[in-house]
Amino acid sequence: MKKLLLLTVLALAATVGTASAAYKVGLLSDLTGATSSVGTPYAEGIKAYVAWLNENGGIGGEPVELIQVDYAYNVQQALAAYKRFTSEGIVAMQGWGTGDTEALVKFVAKDKIPVFSASYSAHLMDPAKAPYNFTAAADYSTMGRAGLNYLRETWKDSRAPKLAFMFPDNPYGTAPIPAMEEYAKELGFEIVGKENVDLKAIDATPQLLSLKKAEPDFVWTGGTTPSTAVIMKDAQKLGMTCTFFSNIWSSDENIFKLAGDAATGHFGLQGAAIYGQPSAGMDLIRKITKGEPQMTHYVRGFVSAMVMCEGMKMAKAAGEVTGESIKAALETMRDFDPMGLAPAVSYFPDDHRPNLSVNICTFKDGKLEFVKTTVLERKKEWLGL
Amino acid sequence: MSMHKCGLFYTTYAAEDGLFRSRFQKLCMGLFLAVLLAVPQLVDSYAVSILNLILIAVIGAVSLNLLTGMCGQMSLGHGAFVGVGAYGAAILSNAGAPFVAALLGGGAISAMVGMVFGIPSLRLKGIYLAISTLAAQLILEYVFLHASSLTGGANGLPVSPPQILGFAFDTDARIFYLILAVTALCVLAVTNVSRTRHGRAFVAIRDYHQSAENVGVNLFAYKLQAFGLSSFLAGVAGGLWSHYTMYITPEQFSMGLSISYLAMIIIGGMGSVIGSIFGAVFITLLPEMLNLLVSSLGGIAPDLSAVIVPMKEGVFGLMLVLFLIFEPEGLARKWRLTKAYWKLYPFAY
Repeated sequence: MKKLLLLTVLALAATVGTASAAYKVGLLSDLTGATSSVGTPYAEGIKAYVAWLNENGGIGGEPVELIQVDYAYNVQQALAAYKRFTSEGIVAMQGWGTGDTEALVKFVAKDKIPVFSASYSAHLMDPAKAPYNFTAAADYSTMGRAGLNYLRETWKDSRAPKLAFMFPDNPYGTAPIPAMEEYAKELGFEIVGKENVDLKAIDATPQLLSLKKAEPDFVWTGGTTPSTAVIMKDAQKLGMTCTFFSNIWSSDENIFKLAGDAATGHFGLQGAAIYGQPSAGMDLIRKITKGEPQMTHYVRGFVSAMVMCEGMKMAKAAGEVTGESIKAALETMRDFDPMGLAPAVSYFPDDHRPNLSVNICTFKDGKLEFVKTTVLERKKEWLGL
Repeated sequence: MSMHKCGLFYTTYAAEDGLFRSRFQKLCMGLFLAVLLAVPQLVDSYAVSILNLILIAVIGAVSLNLLTGMCGQMSLGHGAFVGVGAYGAAILSNAGAPFVAALLGGGAISAMVGMVFGIPSLRLKGIYLAISTLAAQLILEYVFLHASSLTGGANGLPVSPPQILGFAFDTDARIFYLILAVTALCVLAVTNVSRTRHGRAFVAIRDYHQSAENVGVNLFAYKLQAFGLSSFLAGVAGGLWSHYTMYITPEQFSMGLSISYLAMIIIGGMGSVIGSIFGAVFITLLPEMLNLLVSSLGGIAPDLSAVIVPMKEGVFGLMLVLFLIFEPEGLARKWRLTKAYWKLYPFAY
């Protein structure tokens, strides 16, 4: 105990010693918790962009100082981390999951700290409810709608395509379902089933068996990459021929490691480029990482930091950089191109959806492959739903 | 040189059972409270927020200790009972109820729910009861997520900061005093319950249920009371949490929360009020300390911190195991030993 105290004192002394005139930005990461496998590359992407920016002029000559805290996907620790950030005087924050981002909505609104989260819940896009929340990728519901849109476009049969949903029974899993059901009906899908598959499932046979009778053509999987892999493998075992389409967190470069051949031909929806997709930003990432392939989560973290820093630059050009001025600057951002790494980003004072563009990817030859970017209309009635 | 009596000498039972048995204890308590009251003026908002989290955890841990430590009824659903109180208080407060009424209402709802899930305790003991309270956890989590018209479902529920007589507790320092007052009342309540017939009945049930029944303790009634009281306090902790964070979602009251409360009372010391307080402090501070350590090491040796970060969870687990092996009676015993050491210092006879 005494040693722990001593170490703490040392730690405090060390943190006090590193004060500088930089713009401080909090980086709330999950490096050790339930989502650490995707949280780590995402955080690396953010850090890589900020490091590059600081070497290349920073925000009008001032560097950005990231304060990273690992909160292990625990809401209480996220709250404490946020308080640590504010007491150190951050002007903006890079957040992470749904639970912690929601728990902080009111705090960041009160303290006027713009937050870029990697939780793409639709209600975080509505400034009436979450005035200081931003994201660099479209919300879960928009992703689902874009996926449906693409599938309907490519559907050639004369009969209505049959659609089923598989998702974990938690806030993240259930959030986009009503929006997707509504849009699917509008597009003329026939909804034939809904099944819950836990994020930690090691077997999805019972759920798939009950869906098999309904013979769906397309199945939505909104979980994590491991849970999607389980579903795909079991579907292959059962000889099902349906096509799976999975949301931003339900499939990534690891899908082939986990599902092997069973993943081939299915679709994944992404908010940022896949490593190797040609663009100016990708050349930069290649240079930074010395050609080491990165997950798409890394690219998305990179984009998230880039959009935030662009907002800071705009705020700096207009005057002082504060949380309030960054928010105001971001809300005037129109079609900002994150070096071709993601669809262009615009924010409005009454609409924080960055865009309604979703990258449709397919799994082929052991790799993620970009198919096309589906762009939906920015409909008012979809905001927050 | 004046002479002091060695040890304490009681002439009445009431004195022996007193909360503070010596003037020195009263003085220490007074000083401790004075320091606590002064703290928000001396430290930054980060430290105050940690204190707030600790105080809320203290209520949760003390209430679980009443049920598990004192009455011997194992509960794996305490996090969900905290959640019931959080949602109850939030819904009442959003409907326009004043803060105190919402807090008590949330506690009352939680007490009722707790008693319902306590009914199996008449037939189930030990690990079997633990599993049935685990069921309570799962059922309640399901309700939080799916009763969307009440709880906001996946979108969560926003809450306004507490207001009493027009005074808004909307900063960390302000709400600290509110939480401190409620925590002090809760701790006092549990301490007092342990000194009444109820408390003794709880302990009797824990130690051996048949003997307890033989001496006239109505097992069912007392077990239910333990569940009710414990859940009420858990609900109060939840009400404070929801008004402090101002936004609640089902994820905040998951299994993990229940486990961390259990860890608090195990590390602190089963059946001891002061132990639960130590446990709450320890479990809340540990991740913060580890984070500070890692970030400071990152400044000195970045390569080292990359290795240490993934070990954080391991360190947490290791701490628990080491505690169970070397101090099974928890921090409370350590505290007693330390006190005894200094009382007799320098002549340990």
